Amino acid sequence: MAKTSTTASHGPQGDGVHPEHVRHTHISRGTYYKVFGALMALMALTVGAWWIEGFIALPRLLGVAIAMAIAIAKTTLIVLYFMHVKVSERATQAYAAAAFIGFAIMVIITMVDYFARGWPPPPGPLP
Amino acid sequence: MATTPTAKPAPVHEHGHEAHGRELLHHFESAQQQKETATLGMWVFLVTEIMLFGGIFMAYIVYRWAFPDVWAEAAHHLNTPLGAVNTVVLLVSSLTVALAVNAAEEGDRRRLLTMLGITLLLGATFLVIKGYEYGEKFAHCAGAANPVAWVTGGARLEEKECLVPGRSFIFPEAHGAEGGKGAAATHGAEAGHGQPQAGPGSPYQLFYFLYFVATGLHAVHMVIGLTIVSVLTFISWRGVITPTYFTPIEVGGLYWHLIDIIWVFLFPLFYLVH
Repeated sequence: MAKTSTTASHGPQGDGVHPEHVRHTHISRGTYYKVFGALMALMALTVGAWWIEGFIALPRLLGVAIAMAIAIAKTTLIVLYFMHVKVSERATQAYAAAAFIGFAIMVIITMVDYFARGWPPPPGPLP
Repeated sequence: MATTPTAKPAPVHEHGHEAHGRELLHHFESAQQQKETATLGMWVFLVTEIMLFGGIFMAYIVYRWAFPDVWAEAAHHLNTPLGAVNTVVLLVSSLTVALAVNAAEEGDRRRLLTMLGITLLLGATFLVIKGYEYGEKFAHCAGAANPVAWVTGGARLEEKECLVPGRSFIFPEAHGAEGGKGAAATHGAEAGHGQPQAGPGSPYQLFYFLYFVATGLHAVHMVIGLTIVSVLTFISWRGVITPTYFTPIEVGGLYWHLIDIIWVFLFPLFYLVH
């Protein structure tokens, strides 16, 4: 934490003096409203895509991919702006990323194992 | 950060807080550092939360991959309009939480309390809608058309249906028009060779089991989130929150946003399936 050691010389009220600390904490209300607008648009998009997919013969995997891409876009917006990760400490950013990378590792390793054993299984009743 | 005992010793509670607000603990150099530390700690907890839900999502991925037709057919019996309304409710509540943090930062106590109040209302709305959805499923098992009819002894369900996993699970006969892509036409042969879709043998139970576990765990988190926001409202009302100390709002907000993110995935995965 080199950053904090530089503020030590400023004493307990050092924050605000050091320029690196000034950039922290603030995301304007205007940005929040814009992000919210984008989230609403994505929400409409995901329901709209699902509705349209009811009429056209789209490969199932593509439909899931579209829905997940929209959900990931929404999550990115929430994490970066609403959860302030965009203006957070590096360590916080690393943890936020680690959560999703950790989940991705679990999914990849599990699915690779399933595929290695002949996945997906032939259609039939549940065992 | 040595205390400066002069002729008049400071009262016990005021040990060395002369230079800064009393909320700043002595092992931190600045309020900024204290807030960053708390935020990092919260994220460590959120990582464990994501892994908790991650296990459920993992099971979902495996089973949906294996039985896509079962999924397509089963999902049609969930109440998609209510799910969509709930998604909007949660997204709006995420905005109000973000605005609450902003109000706390700017020291606007009135706006802070308003935003937290709206968040509480939205959270309660979500749980009421979710409760109605659950109620619908349980009412169907009891033979009533909807939860209100169940209580008042009103309209009965025409076709037998019980989508709560367990012994009495009955999946209604597939409707050709609803399945889409011929899923309904083929599933019968795939999913049990003409056997009745009732009881523990029905493959559709898997979908509803995951549905109840995932949304149930999410609802539990909503209840915890509501408790946290209630406490935040109380301490804001008491004037604990100031522009130099709004860490509780920030950290509580992180939890609320995480619940929102979980729902952002639950909604398309359970309600929007073809």
